[in-house]
Amino acid sequence: MRTSMMGRRTFLRGAGATLALPFLEAAQPKAAKVSAPPTRMAFFYVPNGVAQKAWHPGDTGMEFALSPSLMPLEPVREKITLHTNLDRIKVPGTDGHAQASSCYLSSATPDELSPAGYPLKRTIDQVIADEAGKHTAFRSLELSCNSYRDNRESVYFDNISWYGHGHVARSMKDPQKVFRRLFAVDEHKANASVLDVILADAKDLQPKLGRLDRDKLGEYLESVRTVERQIERITKRQDDLAELELLEPGKLWTAMRRDEYVQVMGDLMILALQTDLTRVSTLMVAPERWDTPLAFHGVFDKPIRHHGWTHNQHKKEVLKDLEKLDLFHVEQFARLVAKMNAVKEGEGTLLDNVMFTMGSGLSSGMLHECTNLPTVIAGGAGGAVTPNQHLKHPEGTPIANLWLSMAKIMGLEKKRIGDSTGLLGNWLA
Amino acid sequence: MEKSSALLDFARIWPVLAIVSMGWAADKPKAFDYHSVSGRPGNGEPTSRLEGESAFEPKGTSRVQGMKNFGPHWSGDAHLLWNGIDGEKMETSFTVPEPGEYALTLVLTLAPDYGVFRIRLNGKVAAEAVDLYAGRVEVGRPLPLGKFPLDQGPQAMSFELMGGNPKARKFRGKGYLLGLDYLELERTGEDPPPKDEPKVGPALSQTPSFKEVRPLLARHCFACHGDKEKVKGKINLKALVSRDHFLRTPELARKAHESVVLHEMPPEDEEQPGPAARRKIAAFLDSVVNQYARENAPLRPVVMRRMNRYEYNNAVRDLLELRGDVFPLPERVIRGDQHFNPASGRFPSEVTAGNRTLGKNQIEQHILTDVDPFAIDLQAEHGFNNQGEQLGTSTILLESLLKLGRSIVNSPEFDGYSGLSSSLLKEDREDMGNRLRPFLEKAFRQPAQEAVLARYSDYYRSEKKRTGSHAQAIKNVLSAVLASPKFIYFSEEKSKVEPRAPVSAHELAQRLGLFIWSSIPDEKLMESAASGRLLNSGELEKQVLRMLADRKSRALAENFARQWLRLDQLITAVPDFDRFNEYYSRIGCEQWKFGLQTMLEPLLLFESILVEDRSVMLLVDSNYAYRSDELQAWYANPAKPFGNKQNRNRFNTKVQKFRKRSLTTRREGGVMTTAAVLTMTSTPLRTSPIKRGSWVAGVLFNDPPPPPPDVVPEIEEDDRVLAAQGLTIRDRLKQHASDQACASCHAKIDPLGFALESFDPVGRWRQSYAKNVPVDASGKLFGDRPFSDVIEFKDIILENPESFMRPFGEHMLSYALGRELRVGDKAAVDEITRRALRDKGKFSSFVLAIAHSLPFRYKTNQESKGEPDEN
Repeated sequence: MRTSMMGRRTFLRGAGATLALPFLEAAQPKAAKVSAPPTRMAFFYVPNGVAQKAWHPGDTGMEFALSPSLMPLEPVREKITLHTNLDRIKVPGTDGHAQASSCYLSSATPDELSPAGYPLKRTIDQVIADEAGKHTAFRSLELSCNSYRDNRESVYFDNISWYGHGHVARSMKDPQKVFRRLFAVDEHKANASVLDVILADAKDLQPKLGRLDRDKLGEYLESVRTVERQIERITKRQDDLAELELLEPGKLWTAMRRDEYVQVMGDLMILALQTDLTRVSTLMVAPERWDTPLAFHGVFDKPIRHHGWTHNQHKKEVLKDLEKLDLFHVEQFARLVAKMNAVKEGEGTLLDNVMFTMGSGLSSGMLHECTNLPTVIAGGAGGAVTPNQHLKHPEGTPIANLWLSMAKIMGLEKKRIGDSTGLLGNWLA
Repeated sequence: MEKSSALLDFARIWPVLAIVSMGWAADKPKAFDYHSVSGRPGNGEPTSRLEGESAFEPKGTSRVQGMKNFGPHWSGDAHLLWNGIDGEKMETSFTVPEPGEYALTLVLTLAPDYGVFRIRLNGKVAAEAVDLYAGRVEVGRPLPLGKFPLDQGPQAMSFELMGGNPKARKFRGKGYLLGLDYLELERTGEDPPPKDEPKVGPALSQTPSFKEVRPLLARHCFACHGDKEKVKGKINLKALVSRDHFLRTPELARKAHESVVLHEMPPEDEEQPGPAARRKIAAFLDSVVNQYARENAPLRPVVMRRMNRYEYNNAVRDLLELRGDVFPLPERVIRGDQHFNPASGRFPSEVTAGNRTLGKNQIEQHILTDVDPFAIDLQAEHGFNNQGEQLGTSTILLESLLKLGRSIVNSPEFDGYSGLSSSLLKEDREDMGNRLRPFLEKAFRQPAQEAVLARYSDYYRSEKKRTGSHAQAIKNVLSAVLASPKFIYFSEEKSKVEPRAPVSAHELAQRLGLFIWSSIPDEKLMESAASGRLLNSGELEKQVLRMLADRKSRALAENFARQWLRLDQLITAVPDFDRFNEYYSRIGCEQWKFGLQTMLEPLLLFESILVEDRSVMLLVDSNYAYRSDELQAWYANPAKPFGNKQNRNRFNTKVQKFRKRSLTTRREGGVMTTAAVLTMTSTPLRTSPIKRGSWVAGVLFNDPPPPPPDVVPEIEEDDRVLAAQGLTIRDRLKQHASDQACASCHAKIDPLGFALESFDPVGRWRQSYAKNVPVDASGKLFGDRPFSDVIEFKDIILENPESFMRPFGEHMLSYALGRELRVGDKAAVDEITRRALRDKGKFSSFVLAIAHSLPFRYKTNQESKGEPDEN
């Protein structure tokens, strides 16, 4: 891992995405300088599950050996925790892949079916953002590296973050747009003047609408209020952001190699976390299913179909390729983890203050299994957890227990999330 | 097999139809030639309408009743009212101006105290047991009485009261009422009617009783669906012990009806019911669904739709009077619009067009700089990207919309690009509220409320003060409008009536604009709405025809057809670069695909049907196609489409001329056998009968297979690997489908795909695989209709036009409503199908029938859930 301190200048050029990012003290809100750095959380979602055998380590506890697929994490192994035996509910009758993405972070139960037939509700990132977002310009950040050029699948395959039933927290796919959203303060301010007018229009409409339409308008109203808050808060950060001298990603995302794309998006996420512009972020590395061939330059010599492979992994040569692909994803994750670890923050690094989870809504894509979901968490969550171990939970432990524990770490006392049965006692320090 | 393939090379030539095919089809009557249908109904009334209140002779208790108080839907705002007791008749008559054959359609009033009638025309029973009961007073759906040869002069018509629906309330304690709104007379064409006019749904009198049907179900169904502890598909028919039980599970009845009619059930290897028994079961199930739909099914609510990107572009273009698009739209596949002129009723024989991905050189000439569209909305799993439920608004989207609106009006080209620069943008002494009124009414598709006028006038004043410029202040007002929920949502006022109410005239205008233009209504439509005329069915018909004749109706091709055919999937199809290097325009450059111009072929066919108002059956089989020279060569010379042209620039990658070509073989024509469809449903190294089959099932028959089960063994990715094992893809799938878990679905999907096996993975004709292994493209359609090749496959559909027209109407209705269809929509779909069949699939007949349909003209109060739990 190349690291390079560039003073207060951060380059986000597509090709040079391996640059480590310096700690931007100036960008910390005033309050953060005196108190301890806040705890932040992020997700790195991998679609279609992983090849099981090469993923799950044999040993447990502190002495675990990294499995073949997890080897890229070796340099940061002291700061990661592996979880096994975490499960998710699957509802029969609707698509397994759409459920994997849209239901993963909510663990909603089958009695919470949305009109489309998926158990959906507010996902854990959004639940936590309700609290963590009170302090930052952006309540949360949703990113996706979906570079498919066709529109093969529906919205349920393409999003892991949901405000609620049928209300998607749409993700951003263009790094340049993400960059401008985070740092072009003037563009936010320009939105301010029309807000009163359109809000009044919305309030005209509200009483005339039926129940379902009122819910839809509710999405709009919520968005207007969020935009309003963002403008107010980002304006307060205007001066310290101006000092950063950031450069927009130079390369068009559609021209990026797969690894460049993932790393640039990851860099933007890290930048947003380290400047405390947000404390919650999701990054979907690719959408679920989407059987269109996709190029992985430098990994495979032809565009590949990830989903197709998962159903064919009983064949040796296919399994080998699939493991190679998993390894690629873990490498991408590990590079971002290392970058977080290179950002100094207080006595430690940014990594010590985050929970950065790599996971998937499926364990094996072969059978759309939802038991023993692949789960790697990097970071120390501000001391709330003890990394460098492999926690093998009792069989059948709901992954919602992990979400519940995360909520607690982020300062949110919840009785239940989805099908949770309690906290992960052995994980919380 | 080889023999018959060789035969069709010279024998199956247009316009010789199925007659020449050797086997079963030889003794069939000559099939109807759908190419003979064309031309939009003119502006003159296509039918003559006889109003109940004026054209019918009142006798006995009959009298005219004004209906305005009950709503605006009665033609002429009145009907002819009659009351009597069981056995009594309303006798009346009307006059026919000239002798001939007429198709008669009757519109009657429904109400809680209206009876059940037998209708006779000139003494002959024209309709049996017509039940006029409804929970509230409303206009019934048009009731087609059939075709009658009529002499000039008076025609006797009688309505005999047979009793009342059990739910109906008696009128004055004894009899029941009748209300006649109007009768439509339509001269039928010169052609004698085809002998086997397809019937839609059985007549009421033929409905078999549950008692008759139960033993048939016991014999053919219970073994799997009832007798054993574990019932197949969780469907237990044995447990349904009365008609009422079936009525409580309408979705099950609907699915059961479908699988019985399509011969999916009982499975092939089980004992089959005879044709009469099958008809009986089907008729029973269909009557259950119809009764349910008639009596119970509330309309599924339409969830308020947000504009998607395509609609936003069109709406902003029309509102701001722009000379062209707002931003580049990949949705607009065919670049160039000179050829599309529906008012002419003629589609040119040569179309010069570019295609989006062929190069950046063909970017739009009229486009605003620095205007960034918001992200495309994804299509529903089986449907369009206009379903309210799935059109969310998030913070990101609102930010995009706010910025987008600003960037449009502040673009340096805006002043020269927008018609508003000669109106609103000019300074004027007139009151700002008055100046803004027409603009806001157009933008929000509603009469402007004073509060809204004041709000935007105030905003104008404060912006004028802030910027010191009238034009800038107006632009800021425009950009506020473009982000307003009243602009971006197609909202409708909630109905206070249980369970449904007619949409208002303005709401109907809004629905029409969105359906036919993917945009907002224009001034004429708004005017028709403001006067209330639009609610009159004659005016509605006129407006729809006017809208279809407008260039904006191209949205039906760009937005509806593109999504219906799922053509987006071609963009990312990657036939193997080494094996199919002709697919790429330059050797060594995977970015430049010849294949992308194939996408234009099915769309140009669709546009020609739309513009010339031809039959949609041409989408199944047409004797012409629009192709570039290269595309023509692709079909004509599959072995070497580009001759000896080597390596570079084998053809123009910017713009091509697509010419209308008469097809010389019936294995081409229609959409199913276009290179575009065949390529996008293949995998890089072989064809995929499964993908092709599910495309045919989902797109042509609107019967998409369920998602594959969790255990999906993949098939070898390369047909050469298969060939090395001595297998064809067909053999391999047979092995695959022998697994019981897969069998029932594959029995349904695979034959549809096998019919297309004569086309290679990039859509070129082939008679054999490698090593001269012959292609077997035979199979059975609808369970019992054998075909030996794709031509016979098309013939079966042409002989059963309902098999395509009904699903086509369903797709379009779902698109028009922006929601999925459910059992409550069945009556509407029946009616659309009926009209389309009558008009031989004429494109406009679908659009008109949908515009007239109940779900399109009514809204729900959104309080009920929509329908009972499925199954």
